Amino acid sequence: MTSESVPRTTEPAAPARQRRQRVNWAPYLLILPSLLYLAIFFALPMVRAIRLAVWDDGALLTLRDEAAAGSRSAGSLPQGTQIALLDRQGIVVAPDELAGGTALTETWLRVAAADPNGQQVTGWVSDSRIRVRATDAQGAPSEGTVRPKLGATADPLTSVYAEPNERSAVTGSLANSAVVSIQEQAMLEVWFRIEGQNEGQTVAGWAPSRALQVYDETSGRIDAGDTGQFTTAYIEKMLNDRFFKPALGTTLLLMVIIIPVQFILAIIMALVIQARLKFSTVFLAIFAIPLAASDLAVGIVFSSIFTQNGYLNSILQALGLISSAQPYLTADTRHWIIIAIWLAEVWRATAIVMIIVVSGLQAISQEVLEAAEVFGASLWQRVRHVILPMLKPSLQVALILRTILALQVFAVVIALSGGEVVTVLANETYRQYYDLRNMNLAAAYAGFILVISMITAVIYLRMVRTQEEAGQ
Amino acid sequence: MTTADTSGALISAEMAAVRAKARRRMMMGRAFTYLVGIVLCLWVLVPIWFIASMALTTPEVVRSYPKGVLPFIPFSFETMKFFLGSFGIVPGLINSVIVAVITLTLSTLIAAPAGYAISRYIFRGRDAFRLSILAVRAFPVVILSIPLAVTFISLGIFDKVYSLALMHTALTLPTTILVIGSVFASIPYELEEAAQVFGCTPVQAFRRVVLPLVLPGIAAAAVFTFVMSWNEVFAATVLTVQNRTLPAQVLVSLQLSGEPYRFAGGFFMLVPSVIFIFAIRKYLFNMWGQISK
Repeated sequence: MTSESVPRTTEPAAPARQRRQRVNWAPYLLILPSLLYLAIFFALPMVRAIRLAVWDDGALLTLRDEAAAGSRSAGSLPQGTQIALLDRQGIVVAPDELAGGTALTETWLRVAAADPNGQQVTGWVSDSRIRVRATDAQGAPSEGTVRPKLGATADPLTSVYAEPNERSAVTGSLANSAVVSIQEQAMLEVWFRIEGQNEGQTVAGWAPSRALQVYDETSGRIDAGDTGQFTTAYIEKMLNDRFFKPALGTTLLLMVIIIPVQFILAIIMALVIQARLKFSTVFLAIFAIPLAASDLAVGIVFSSIFTQNGYLNSILQALGLISSAQPYLTADTRHWIIIAIWLAEVWRATAIVMIIVVSGLQAISQEVLEAAEVFGASLWQRVRHVILPMLKPSLQVALILRTILALQVFAVVIALSGGEVVTVLANETYRQYYDLRNMNLAAAYAGFILVISMITAVIYLRMVRTQEEAGQ
Repeated sequence: MTTADTSGALISAEMAAVRAKARRRMMMGRAFTYLVGIVLCLWVLVPIWFIASMALTTPEVVRSYPKGVLPFIPFSFETMKFFLGSFGIVPGLINSVIVAVITLTLSTLIAAPAGYAISRYIFRGRDAFRLSILAVRAFPVVILSIPLAVTFISLGIFDKVYSLALMHTALTLPTTILVIGSVFASIPYELEEAAQVFGCTPVQAFRRVVLPLVLPGIAAAAVFTFVMSWNEVFAATVLTVQNRTLPAQVLVSLQLSGEPYRFAGGFFMLVPSVIFIFAIRKYLFNMWGQISK
């Protein structure tokens, strides 16, 4: 949105050619920083939000021809597929690559020792075959003995390999309990050759164990993919979320009950200020106070009124209307919570509508208003037939601004209901992110709010444009 | 002659009656307007009075029922002291101030040139730029803190005070650009030209003539940026874990804390913004009247 139609056509040197009209590039340089900033911190996150909401990063796991990350693809299987394990092999990886992961690992040691014939052999042995007896100053193993093999049928000797891999050439064998010196150790990740069904076709290939969940020697399932895929799963999940409908409903309900009251109040405030009384600047300053009030603070202010031992009950009891304190902000009295949110939002956000209406009123020429008065129009007639029609553009803008801001109502709701009994869209976004740690669903909610706002903003932009055209 | 005299006297008597009636009607109208104005002022001020009464008394009085208001209940700083001594409040306060200061600095530095450009130059794409700024201004920017959190985690700058300030700058930038633009637009370009005629270079003309005139307006815009950042709670809660700002700290501990903590917190967050609004009330229409133009 921000990067459109800014022609950075001319270099400073270009105007030297006199044929073309000289373009002043100074304004482009001046707006460049803000354009860049908004591109990075507005446009990019917006794309990111939509991507998070509709893109499953780990939808598919690519299988490989060989047990190596770079080898040719042998097809892919979706996340969650049940698989058969056909074969296993370890490959060397950097230790930090596996930090915190779920990979199965093996450690191999490069050892030097004398074989049963007295000949010196060096090569790699799995650490499951070596008991470490001593470590060096850094804590790395330096000496050990070959573990005795148990069971009569097994080969009594332990093979030593040329590489840390059971498929590599055997360079020698060691007897049980032979003393070895350890020169080096290597970390291996286990890869499996797996087989599974994808849309009726059997696909087989190698996959790293970090992407798999292994049930036993022969079976498992695909836990995480490496290739993204478009998905509507998150959006469906959001639509089926048990809080989605109440949240959307409450958000819309609040919009419907807040905005009209705000507009009526704002117009009355503006008329009071326009009446040019002695204290109209004082009135203006007081009416504008809520403009700078934080929504959380306002929510708390109104909770001091509506809480069970709060001001509303105190006043009603003092007037003798109730005999004991009534609960308002509880699950059984949802309507009272809505009323409290309604009053808090009307209190907080009427100021901005008032400012917009006042600046709109100031643009109406005083003569028109006086003429209406001279011809004997009553206050109501003046409001209905003169002021409202002339304020229409300002009111439209204020309406759209308020609609979008109403989608963001959040802290007031938390302060008055704890975010459980009565919930709104922004609160669900927060809950998915903060309590449930589900980034994708949070992004789906965020995307939903963004799309509604975007539609409203487009209407708003068109209106501003037609207004500017009309003004010219 | 005499008949004419009497008729003249009659007319003037009638006129006087009409005038008196009109004056009475006007007085009535004024009184009514005052009444409405005062009721609306009470609507704004009474809730502030309530919360101030709760914050500026002892915690025992806060918990008591029925509730009284200052000056009929004992005045005390005990509740405020209790709030400020609670876990995370002083660090949160410091974080809030740091975030707001970084935000207002960044925002003003980036917005001032753009504001100057849209008020002083006619260039291709100017309207598109202004409309984009208006659109971003009307957008729920804080919702974008969800994808930003993911990005910040992968970049390793999550839960940092400055990364929250980066988000808040995106939030305040459009407003700041529009306000600074309108401040520049209120200084006639002829002043700059005159200075140049009298031998100033364009840069000197800007520094010696325009800058002193726009500084108060830019300062007001900066104050407003500060207030927006100070008040912001959604992005602050999403983008921080250990380094909470004041509103974020209050929000996450709200459900677990007692009434003295909540009310003192609400009052404490409300006060600076009310003072700020009073300080910049002259510029209110520059700030918000803009949006409708």
